[in-house]
Amino acid sequence: MSDSELVLLAKKKRSDFGLLYEKYFDQLFRFVFKKLGGMEETAGDITQLVFMKAMANIDKYEERGFPFSSWLYRIAQNEVALFFRKEKKNYTIPIDENRITELASEADISTKMSIEQQEELIEMLNGLEESQLEIIELRFFQELSFKEIAEIYNITEANAKMKVYRILEKIGKKWKGEK
Amino acid sequence: RKMKKFILNKDKKELNPTDEQIKRHKDFTRLHHDYEKVTKRSKRPLYK
Repeated sequence: MSDSELVLLAKKKRSDFGLLYEKYFDQLFRFVFKKLGGMEETAGDITQLVFMKAMANIDKYEERGFPFSSWLYRIAQNEVALFFRKEKKNYTIPIDENRITELASEADISTKMSIEQQEELIEMLNGLEESQLEIIELRFFQELSFKEIAEIYNITEANAKMKVYRILEKIGKKWKGEK
Repeated sequence: RKMKKFILNKDKKELNPTDEQIKRHKDFTRLHHDYEKVTKRSKRPLYK
């Protein structure tokens, strides 16, 4: 069944929202889990909250040619951001070495980096504006395609690609300027 | 001020959830029950 058919069923009868839940729970839990750096219980709570909000607002949902998951991702982005904002302590989110080296190579920095250089690059990323870091996180740490990023932001795929490469260019210039 | 900071995963911590972890949190019955509870509460007449 297509997303639009499933949404139609859920709008008529809330218990049928379970079909959308079954279809998207795993990928959304994975998304939130990675965003939280592996905090399992919090990831479970936030994922349930995302589906609760989606279920409560399903009547307002309008299909614009994007899959239903992009709406869920958007709610999840907001909920995770809200979680970090409300918390009074600092959290560290681990990033795998291969994700950083891929980012470095895409930013035309280097294909081989020492541990120290990788840490320097991460420190530079931490200094980015929140909105820019969000896009970098989706592309390199969540490993979403340009199409998926475009769907979350409600923009075209070409536009998503341009946004990512502009930020990478900025990172590359800054890196070379400091070396 | 940022509450979230990225660091290098030096400890090789597993960053993806296992199938077991996903299964543990997947529960539509609970979600539906919570939803019913919340909507019932918001529909309660004021005098109650």
